[in-house]
Amino acid sequence: MQTDRELVTYCIDKMKHAGAHKAQCYLKHSKKHELNVEAGEMTLLRTNFDTSIILKAIIDDKRGDIKINKKDISSLDAAVAQVIEFAQSSYPDKANDIAEKQPSKEFTAGPESPDMDLMYDKLAEFVEYVPKTYPKTVIEQAIMDFTQTNIIIQNSNGVDFAGNRGVYSFGVMFTSKDGEKASSFNHSGFDAKSLDKPLKDYATIDSLLKQSSESIHTISFPGKIVGDVIITPDCLSSFVYYISNMLSDYMMISGSSAFKDKLNEKIASELLTLHANPRSPEIAKNYFFTLDGFEAQNITIIDKGVLKSFLLSQNGANKTGKPRGLNSGGCYVIEPGASSYEDMISSIDKGILLCRFSGGNPSDNGDFSGVAKNSFLIENGKVTTPLNETMIAGNLIDLLKNIKGISQERINYGSAIYPCLHVKGVTVSGK
Amino acid sequence: MQIYDLSKYKQLFKEYTEVRIQENRNTSITVLNGDVLSNNRSSESGISARVYKKGVWGFSSNPTISDETAQTVIKAATENALYLNDRVRKNKEPLPGNPGQSEHDFSTKKPRLSQKQLITFLKDIDNYILQKYTDLSARTTLLRLLDMEKQFINSEDSHSLSIVPRSIIITSLSLLKDNQPFELYEVFGGFGQFEDVFEKPDDLFKKIDKQYEHLKKKSEGVYAQAGIHECILGPDLAGILSHEAIGHTVEADIVIGGSIAINHLGKQVASPLITMTDFAHHALGELCPVPLFVDDEGTKAEDAVLIKDGILKTFMHNKESARHFGVQPTGNARAYQYSDEPIIRMRNTAITPGKDKLQDMISSIEDGYYLMQASNGQADSTSEFMFGIVKGYEIKNGKLVKGIKDTTISGIALDMLKSISMVSDDMNWSCGGMCGKKQLIPVGMGGPAVKCKVKIGGK
Repeated sequence: MQTDRELVTYCIDKMKHAGAHKAQCYLKHSKKHELNVEAGEMTLLRTNFDTSIILKAIIDDKRGDIKINKKDISSLDAAVAQVIEFAQSSYPDKANDIAEKQPSKEFTAGPESPDMDLMYDKLAEFVEYVPKTYPKTVIEQAIMDFTQTNIIIQNSNGVDFAGNRGVYSFGVMFTSKDGEKASSFNHSGFDAKSLDKPLKDYATIDSLLKQSSESIHTISFPGKIVGDVIITPDCLSSFVYYISNMLSDYMMISGSSAFKDKLNEKIASELLTLHANPRSPEIAKNYFFTLDGFEAQNITIIDKGVLKSFLLSQNGANKTGKPRGLNSGGCYVIEPGASSYEDMISSIDKGILLCRFSGGNPSDNGDFSGVAKNSFLIENGKVTTPLNETMIAGNLIDLLKNIKGISQERINYGSAIYPCLHVKGVTVSGK
Repeated sequence: MQIYDLSKYKQLFKEYTEVRIQENRNTSITVLNGDVLSNNRSSESGISARVYKKGVWGFSSNPTISDETAQTVIKAATENALYLNDRVRKNKEPLPGNPGQSEHDFSTKKPRLSQKQLITFLKDIDNYILQKYTDLSARTTLLRLLDMEKQFINSEDSHSLSIVPRSIIITSLSLLKDNQPFELYEVFGGFGQFEDVFEKPDDLFKKIDKQYEHLKKKSEGVYAQAGIHECILGPDLAGILSHEAIGHTVEADIVIGGSIAINHLGKQVASPLITMTDFAHHALGELCPVPLFVDDEGTKAEDAVLIKDGILKTFMHNKESARHFGVQPTGNARAYQYSDEPIIRMRNTAITPGKDKLQDMISSIEDGYYLMQASNGQADSTSEFMFGIVKGYEIKNGKLVKGIKDTTISGIALDMLKSISMVSDDMNWSCGGMCGKKQLIPVGMGGPAVKCKVKIGGK
């Protein structure tokens, strides 16, 4: 029986022996314990074991990748033969490469195994809490899991990293009903290294349950304005996702990103500072190294409105001639602002509190439009009526420049930390 | 496909038990501006067991397929079910069954192409675009192949074996107009392995010419006017409407979870012109894009006629929801990976064609839009929906005029369906769809073109 490290080294040696000029092997074991709730009742306990091995071979600048989930020697030998065939079948591209040698390290975070009874008890407590506190609200689905992952990555330049992480994750989807009327569904969740408080008290779970219970009877936004919107932390992840896409490989290589030539230029309000912090102790769902074999570092993507980093992989950096991102993105953290949430709301005469965005993917020029879900009317400095059939439209690039305020208060989801953003210049229209 | 004798594991069953062996094989090639950006294949296989005990389930999976791991997952799933039952004590009745048996291998009988030949096929397409359309700022050609192999038994008399493949090529073209980028993609292919779906690159060239023509018109086009308009939704939109806006609201687990559809069973929810079905394996005499004969609970898969002549008739069920509503399961329980438990999923959801000619439908609109292609779609338990629109035209005085730029449509599906006044007599399936409810899974969506009133978003 060989150890995982020996198996990874075996694959690297085998690929080199078969003709690979450069080779990388990534091996991941994961073990997941998952409890499911459907329609307010506990329904399923799941235990899954999985293995994932990804081989990458480069021959004369030609690259192939094979992923399998077996680690017996005959499966590995077959995968090595296939990755060599794939590389030989491809076309040369000088951008294909592997990470240079870095000091070998092993990283560990979080518990090694779950406390199953604690998981059950926390979930049972939540399942009991929701109908008792919010009688009109139904848990459509809730998933509580603990996943332990053990990863080893090596390459033929001598890269050798190992990472071990255990993390609890919880996600819940819910709807509120009153007779024939129903709210829109909403969802929330978190990741954490331990479960030391009721699930409702993590992230925005309880506040969104309360909002849902109060959002059964809704109105459409009266009229149409080009005006102020407060984007809540729950909704902000959609917009950060769109921005990160514009800084990542595909849009940068294809040249369709509006930010492709904007490094060290101002692209946003100076109020905005955005980091990607996979190594921060504040982030429970962290990672230690990138899939292309680099130790991950925390980075500042936008510093006081100035673009400081792309999210390019090694391949993306080589193809574009621009600097590699020092991590793979995710684990986003937005710095808090100077305004309190209450002050931001009270400064608005008419606008909306945007709590979820259901929209088409933005166009390459940044234009977006979609439906404001689970959102509220703001009138005369107060959050008033829940909305339905209300659309918003704007431009992502303009939106970044039109940030008027960022809240002092932030929410830590365990995978990201976001405040509220006050933006202007968004078109809001009702029926 | 390696055939396993699963029946020998029945002796290990202590409660109602399902055992599934599955392999998913994905091949992905991306050619961006002539460079091979990705060239990879993945194979993920394993064995799983699911056990039912008085209202709760235990599940376990392992990537190694052997007699030993079969015993391990059956034992672990049984223990999980017993642990949960001991805690929850629901004491629910046994599940209803409609056991199915089937063997369907849809893999090609032709010689398989090598990876080199697949890459060359894509490079030929890329080269055609490069040579013919010199004003493009970017071009991408992608190949996505998926083979799903499953073998299944349960405590009842169900057993199945299936290989269901899908092969898709996507071309994406981008150009700059007045320094503004515009993009349009097209999806080709669908059900079947590559050799049965694509013959030669040239077969796609005329379709790519058409795609370029649409892109030019989009770049020279106008913003759609925000507001409620008379529109023709093309088959692509009718398909996504069927799936997202109506289909999800009538999945029985969503209904139990709070969907407003529960209030409308047996009532008029759409124009009498509308009949909508989630087809199991055949529709209008032809094989569907995602044929399912026995679902992943072992139930014989049957069509679920969701809306008949405008009246909401039924929901889509697994065994558990069927027991809840006191009906027969419809065979809608599906799992994506060997390590996933089956949940209620659509299969091939479509509106049945009507009697109108598309040209007559366009001619009947004085001022409106012909919306042809959606980028994505989302819907709600209230049936409020949103679709991103990436291809469409203005209709003025019954004629298609200018292309429109990307926009979004939204509305309440149950209101919008009632506004349908014409349904075209043709039918088209979108074969590249993946639905993302907890697990990703391939789905078929289709329909004719429909004339309706819908809200268009914008500035």
